[in-house]
Amino acid sequence: MDIFSVEYMEIFSIALFFLAYFGIITSKNIIKSIIFIMLMQTAAVMFWLKLGAETSAMPAPPIIYEADLLERAVFIADPLPQALTLTAIIIGFSVIAIIITMLNTLYRHHRTTDWGKLEKLVQ
Amino acid sequence: MTQALLVLWILCAIFIILENRIYRVIIYFGIFSLITSLAYLLLGAPDVAMAEAAISAFCTIFFIICIEKYYSSRDNVKKEEERGSKKHLFRGFVKLLPPLALCAGLFVLFVYFIPDSPMSTYLKYQYLMRFMQDVGGENAVTAIYLGYRVYDTLFEALILVISVVAVSHMSYYEASQVKDGKHSEIENSGMAIFTMRLICPIIIIFGAYLIMNGHISAGGGFQGGLAVATFFICRYLIYDIYDIPVNKVIKLEEIVFISIIIVTAFAVFLGAAAYMPTAFLPFYHNIYLIIMNVLIGMKVACGFFVLFYRYIAIERR
Repeated sequence: MDIFSVEYMEIFSIALFFLAYFGIITSKNIIKSIIFIMLMQTAAVMFWLKLGAETSAMPAPPIIYEADLLERAVFIADPLPQALTLTAIIIGFSVIAIIITMLNTLYRHHRTTDWGKLEKLVQ
Repeated sequence: MTQALLVLWILCAIFIILENRIYRVIIYFGIFSLITSLAYLLLGAPDVAMAEAAISAFCTIFFIICIEKYYSSRDNVKKEEERGSKKHLFRGFVKLLPPLALCAGLFVLFVYFIPDSPMSTYLKYQYLMRFMQDVGGENAVTAIYLGYRVYDTLFEALILVISVVAVSHMSYYEASQVKDGKHSEIENSGMAIFTMRLICPIIIIFGAYLIMNGHISAGGGFQGGLAVATFFICRYLIYDIYDIPVNKVIKLEEIVFISIIIVTAFAVFLGAAAYMPTAFLPFYHNIYLIIMNVLIGMKVACGFFVLFYRYIAIERR
């Protein structure tokens, strides 16, 4: 089991989550913070999809045409995380759309996209 | 191949952290989402891959529309680039050490607790064995989000409606429809017109195919709706979107959402008989899945078109 194999996708997802978390803490620009929120969501979705695809070979999509599939069911990816993450991605994008609108309103009022300058202006 | 993909994935995230120029950050985000979509496909999830590709394309467009106003003047760009001088670099690095330690510590803690044995999979076999008799169709993901877990879909549609309303009300401007606004820069380009005339019919036919065949192969209402919304965005590049009455599109979206609620309630009160109405509609099988996919596709397309219209027409002033 070498270090670059599919079993390590979970570690990469957690690494991305905390990279994005670090990015949100230390970013000076509001737009970068928004992008890091989307990266955190992507990391969570990837982790969950990986847990649903624990097969020995490359997992097959859950689209089946035959009546009985007892032999093949081990190699098919789990359909439940896919259905829920589909909804989650669209909800995440709806929230980001609202956030970008709020950012635009903020920019029209204060004329800055910097967290530090914004703090000084709002106080 | 997966190894190169994952390393590129993490490298994109690191470049986003280190980069200060916003245009480059957005391009890196586009690359990141492309790699993510491919990784979803390699994990056996073509539906999620399609949705992620379309959603991140829209996100990139929205970011670029919003930032072109902020960074259009030369001195804003200059201020960003002069921040990397060597004297501030060391002080900046020392200030970054506590968050770095926190994130590294949390990462090690989470990796320690990854379960060794696979998570419980008996539900996977129950879904895969039974969804063809219970709900119908051949796509297990469609059977889940339209049959077993249709309430999640209902509330997701509700959140899309709320986001369209919220974008109208949180905006700085009062107008909701403009007669004529800023047109695309490539509107008069002959090459663009020729290419779009070839591609746009294919896009909308592909969207309709994804919606209608979501229950048989990979696809579904969400993906097809996003493809139809892409058609309207491509239309803006060569022609105009200011001739489409946005108020009527919003009303259509509300009517479609009410129809989704009615069809779902219908299915709930009829129980399992609603999914296989061969008793009272003997000429077509899986009619419930097709109707729901069409309604969801229309709803998603209308919602995303209204969001795009608001950004192009109103937020760009």
